[in-house]
Amino acid sequence: MTAAFAVSGLCKRYPEFALQDVDLSLPEGQVMGLVGVNGAGKTTLLRLLTGLAAPDAGSIEVLGHRLPEAQVAAKRDIGFASEDMRLYRGRSLDWHIELVRRIYPAWDHAYASELIRRFDLRPAQPLGGYSHGQRVKALLLLCLSRRPRLLLLDEPTTGLDPVARAEVLETLADVLRDEGRSVLFSSHNTHDVERLADSIAFLHQGRLVAHADKERFLDNWRRVLCLGGGAAEVSGWPELAQVRAAGSQVEIKVRAWSEDLPQRLSAAGLSVQRVDPMALEDIFVTAVRTGGAA
Amino acid sequence: MNLNRPVIRLLILKDWQLFEKQLAAYVLAGLGALTLLGLARPWAFYLGSLALIVVVVAAACFAISNSLLVERKEQTLAFVMSLPVSPLDFTISKLLGNLLTFGVPFCVLLLGTLVVILSTPLPDGLVILATLLFGHILLAYSVSLAVAMQVESEGWNTFAMIGSMVLVNPFLMALGQIESIQGPIRQDAIAWSLPAALILGAQLLVSVVVLVHTAWWHGRKAAFY
Amino acid sequence: MPGVSPDAVPADRIHALDHLRALAMLAGVLFHAALAYSPLLAPVWPPADRQTWWGVDALIWLPHLVRMPLFFLIAGYFTASLLERRGMGGLARQRARRILLPFLVAWPLVDGSLALATEWAASAVTQSSPMLRLIRDWLALPDPPGLPPRTGHLWFLYYLLLFGVVLWAVRALGWGGGLARLMARGPQAVAGLLPLVLWPGFMATGSPHPAPESLLPEAWALAVFGPFYALGLGLHGRLDWLTPLRPWLKPAAALCLGLYAVLLDHWTTDATVARTAWATALLEALIAAWGTLLALALGLRWLARPSPLLRYLSASAYWTYLVHLPLLFALQYPMMDLGWPWPLKFATAVSATTALCLLSYELLVRRTPLQRFVG
Repeated sequence: MTAAFAVSGLCKRYPEFALQDVDLSLPEGQVMGLVGVNGAGKTTLLRLLTGLAAPDAGSIEVLGHRLPEAQVAAKRDIGFASEDMRLYRGRSLDWHIELVRRIYPAWDHAYASELIRRFDLRPAQPLGGYSHGQRVKALLLLCLSRRPRLLLLDEPTTGLDPVARAEVLETLADVLRDEGRSVLFSSHNTHDVERLADSIAFLHQGRLVAHADKERFLDNWRRVLCLGGGAAEVSGWPELAQVRAAGSQVEIKVRAWSEDLPQRLSAAGLSVQRVDPMALEDIFVTAVRTGGAA
Repeated sequence: MNLNRPVIRLLILKDWQLFEKQLAAYVLAGLGALTLLGLARPWAFYLGSLALIVVVVAAACFAISNSLLVERKEQTLAFVMSLPVSPLDFTISKLLGNLLTFGVPFCVLLLGTLVVILSTPLPDGLVILATLLFGHILLAYSVSLAVAMQVESEGWNTFAMIGSMVLVNPFLMALGQIESIQGPIRQDAIAWSLPAALILGAQLLVSVVVLVHTAWWHGRKAAFY
Repeated sequence: MPGVSPDAVPADRIHALDHLRALAMLAGVLFHAALAYSPLLAPVWPPADRQTWWGVDALIWLPHLVRMPLFFLIAGYFTASLLERRGMGGLARQRARRILLPFLVAWPLVDGSLALATEWAASAVTQSSPMLRLIRDWLALPDPPGLPPRTGHLWFLYYLLLFGVVLWAVRALGWGGGLARLMARGPQAVAGLLPLVLWPGFMATGSPHPAPESLLPEAWALAVFGPFYALGLGLHGRLDWLTPLRPWLKPAAALCLGLYAVLLDHWTTDATVARTAWATALLEALIAAWGTLLALALGLRWLARPSPLLRYLSASAYWTYLVHLPLLFALQYPMMDLGWPWPLKFATAVSATTALCLLSYELLVRRTPLQRFVG
């Protein structure tokens, strides 16, 4: 299968921040969720993937084009929307559509009209009068209606009210049914990632700390409740992300679950009471708090 | 050099549409100023020439501000950069678009001014002073445009624009100190002295060099950031 | 005269406007030819003949006060039509091809040929006009001072370009609705308001008004011709707007003639003063406003049927406009020394100029690429 994008050894240094040694690829037709706190490097990675930024080291290939050299050709097939991207306040959605339509020959007019209806947007109104949610939807409309092969979305649902968020997610879910289209989207909102993504990449302090299928990623993590006094003994084990004791109760968050772990915990003096899968949100918070290793 | 011409055209058209309303106001004001000059009365001459300078300077500053600074400040730049353009395409579109929105009124007003001097009892030698004045505005504009494309800080950009334009006053005073320029101004013949020709040559040369350097600087960049 | 190119002729072409334009152009040739025999212009018109007749002034100035406003009105009408069909970009391209380019090319040619003919006349004609004598004295100076560039009779093209720029600016600023609101007030209101709008413009110039030939926009010309251009824009698509004026046509015609008689009286007692007295300016404003509306209404009434002759004259009007004045000067200068009675000179000049204009149109323009520019 060809890769929608593939980066290797990617480094980008800024005075206050550096993205370091990232190796990542997305097979065509897949959806990848990019997770990380503010400043983890998500926007930098997306900018590198659109050719807007040049790497200090490493290579980037997007849809068969080497970036940033072939960014013009690549951007013809990329739909990129980021949280810090704004449209012209004094101009209407119709005006923006006309501009974008003339650049992208594959512009799907019928789909654009459908999205206008679905998002309940007023196309003739200047965007200055739009709410934040409407502006985000307008931007998504401009990205989606050009029918890109690769969709790069930086925090698409940030700041949206629950209704707008649901509309945007539904639309994205529809888009994702098209198996030819690849998507990389970053989000603070792990629920969104959990709902939409096939795979998850976790960035922390400029490094890619984990990348796996969603199922495998979630499967690696467990929350284990134990009774006993061996908390101090096990807290150094590398597969355990967090060990917290409250009296005789011990809560353990496991980052690399294996079937023999309960046995080994028993041997260390901890009797396992229950084992639960963890939600991505919980995994995310735990991983960040414990230094990023996921 | 591989330019994406259709998209460059569209980007220029976009800037033109975004700036059209303001440009229309400047063009109307410029026409009004030229009409005042056409009344051939002393008060109208002073008012008209003052209005003309204000219009040219304001149009220069607003052209830069609208197409570069506002785009950056309002974060619409990210939208433009996400379109299939290279940094060179983007730079060329900004340079050409600005030269169009500023260059057209600039040329019309320069010609209008020269016509005023040549068709009224004013000494024709004033043509030299007027040309140097417009030369200064062109230079100030080129520098401001280059700074706006190079520097993100709004403060520095405002400083570059206002500073370079305001320098027109000391520049005119300095010209007044050079006898070989000041003398011919009062005569009814256009006699370019060596210093005057050198100053105009330097204004044009520096303007071109600044703009070409800006284009080259951005053109060799592989990416925007 | 330029209005619309033949490649942009709409199916529902308004014949009356074409025909009016043809007649106005013919009136222009007659007017310029007659100036040589006008006592009023004798001191300033280079080919002024030694024979003049007061009746010339009585006959030519009334149509002249209406002719130029009518041209601007028709130009405004066709501009609106083009704008509707092609948008502002298309209009700008068309104006560049049909007005800017011909202006830039014709200007030095027309200016040069007029200067050449006049310089020849200054040295060769013995029965000189006052203006020719002045030019001769001026040419005799050891180092004659240069004259500033002027647009000559091509000022009409220059003002069409200016009005085009103003139209773009007004639309870009979103002020276009003002005209529609004004038109909605009806023709009586506009006919009442128009002379008041024109009045200050006429006051700001000489009387009869000169041609605004300066390269700087002349305020009076903008104020006098601009409203007619705007009226033409507003009339597009609703020529029936004038219908309520129909009962007023006869009284208006009589009134215009009466006002003109008073104006002639003003001129004979206070000829070509630098600044026009308010009463004279008001008379001119009333005649120009009502005379133009009257001419338009009469044209729509009586010239609406297709006429091949008028259509041909209309098609050749632009070319005629460009070349008639140099031809006329070249013909009238040598005639100044002839002992013919002036009506014969006048008839010869008019018929020869018209014939040469049409012949050159037929040979150089009608079936050639020039057609795209000045046809």
